[in-house]
Amino acid sequence: MKQKKPYTHLNKTEPYLWILPSIILMAIFIIVPIGFVFRMAFSQVTKAGLIKGFCGFNNFAKVLSGAKFGMVLKNTIVWTILVVGLSTVLGFILALILNNEFKGRKIARAIVVFPWATTLVIQASVWKFIINTDYGALNTLLKTLGIIQQNVNWTPTPEAFFAWEIACGIFVTIPFVCFTALSGLQSIDASYYEAATVDGANYWNKLFKITLPLVKPSLTVATVLNIIYVFNSFPIVWTITKGDPASRTDTLVTYLYKLAFYNGKQGEAAAVSVIGFLILLVCASVYMVSTLKKGDE
Amino acid sequence: MAANVRVNWGKLLSRILLYFAVVFICLFILYPYFVMVCTALKSRAEIFAMDGTIFPKVTMWSNFIDIWKKAPMAKYMGNSIIIAAGSTAIAMICGIPAAYALARMKFKGQTAFLGFIIVSQMFAPVVLLIGIYKVMQILGLTNSLLGLIFINAAFNQAFTIWLLRGTFMSISAEMEQAATIDGCNRVQAMFKVLLPVAAPGIVTTLIFIFINAWNEYTVALCLISTETIKPLTVGINIFNGYNMIEWQYLFASSIFAIVPVVILFMSIEKNLASGLTAGGVKG
Repeated sequence: MKQKKPYTHLNKTEPYLWILPSIILMAIFIIVPIGFVFRMAFSQVTKAGLIKGFCGFNNFAKVLSGAKFGMVLKNTIVWTILVVGLSTVLGFILALILNNEFKGRKIARAIVVFPWATTLVIQASVWKFIINTDYGALNTLLKTLGIIQQNVNWTPTPEAFFAWEIACGIFVTIPFVCFTALSGLQSIDASYYEAATVDGANYWNKLFKITLPLVKPSLTVATVLNIIYVFNSFPIVWTITKGDPASRTDTLVTYLYKLAFYNGKQGEAAAVSVIGFLILLVCASVYMVSTLKKGDE
Repeated sequence: MAANVRVNWGKLLSRILLYFAVVFICLFILYPYFVMVCTALKSRAEIFAMDGTIFPKVTMWSNFIDIWKKAPMAKYMGNSIIIAAGSTAIAMICGIPAAYALARMKFKGQTAFLGFIIVSQMFAPVVLLIGIYKVMQILGLTNSLLGLIFINAAFNQAFTIWLLRGTFMSISAEMEQAATIDGCNRVQAMFKVLLPVAAPGIVTTLIFIFINAWNEYTVALCLISTETIKPLTVGINIFNGYNMIEWQYLFASSIFAIVPVVILFMSIEKNLASGLTAGGVKG
């Protein structure tokens, strides 16, 4: 991007006028809410949502000493790592497959778009229906194929429910990874592979020495974005179990939603928001520091 | 000669494996949609029957008519369209000039602004719901479509600016310079020269925001309580009662919520993926 900036005599205030509408929009609807959340996290808040004065770390103390919080935090971490990790690996493999030339490739790509474009709440509803013990589609399918005789209870425990929610999360996240990886794959110059073939490299050499390093930037961006989205993802858990029973399938966002809008504990809910944000901030700074370091090299 | 034949066998085998994998993956991805369509065409009794079948025994096309009587489907759809179109319009009106400034001008605080855009991504609306609710109370926008439009526009600003800045930066500024020499001011140069060239990128961004706003669920769930101003994603849960789920109606109405955006999405998928990562890689 080495181009001369087009306008030499630039009015000093002019650029700010150009970004002003965007800043106003984000200030009112993102920054002000952030301010409220932080203020409420450190305030006593009544059931009706009135902010009543500073209370230090009281809300945080209540949240952290809550019996369920440890489990909810653990669930959130398991959820984020498994969904992001597995969908990154599977999405990359899918991208490798779709990067081949074959008949019907366009159709296959169009089909992979489906889960990316469909709203999460509907996908979660379908999966809820599929895994139902009494009339679910999975049991019907397996019985028709003769694989099982009796209905199988796919969700005997809350952990099993949570595992299905993770599976659903992976299913809906794969397409995003796949398409970002594909756009990376397609920008790789074929001459690299030709040179490697001449040098006698096999498929796996090429994959790990050429493909992976060159796709890594795209995959990294996708992973960073995914960590944020998956960590904050609400509809899947909400639709399938609402975090029940007894918060055993809750993640931080469903937990704080219930605290705020079901139990009237907005101060504590705000504290959970702040904790969640701090966790993401740590992850983001790790990423920033590592990219900055690379920039220095 | 023998070696040659063996290589061909290997190629054939990998070819067969490839097709096998592709067919399997496609079937797997389509399975939930297949279930949705089949269930939407069954009667309630058939869905809950002990000896269920994969396909409906009696095809109930009437489900697709009934949902319009049992729920204000037309209202839901209209609301979804208003929310999505309104959010897109505001996001673009605010985002285009900001992206233009970031791509074509140098100013103090530029890096800070870009940094803020990235950080703003970390706050999903769901985490800020309590704060958003407060702001909406102050503005008198709880339980209104306009409130949802602003929220969707604001939370899509990051993507809008990210994608558009990438598009604008990939276009040389020379044409605009020439236009200014011919007497255009900066705004005219942008409208007449840059935006037409950037049209594919703009359309991609536009559709992407439209789909995001159309698919949004959490904020609408929290802010909207009146049945007639709910968008589709929230409204169809009228069939998802606490004790009794009308699966056939839930899925029949879901199909109306899915089809338009899936078609839109297919049209931009190629540009979108490269746009999203390009913004991040070039930073």
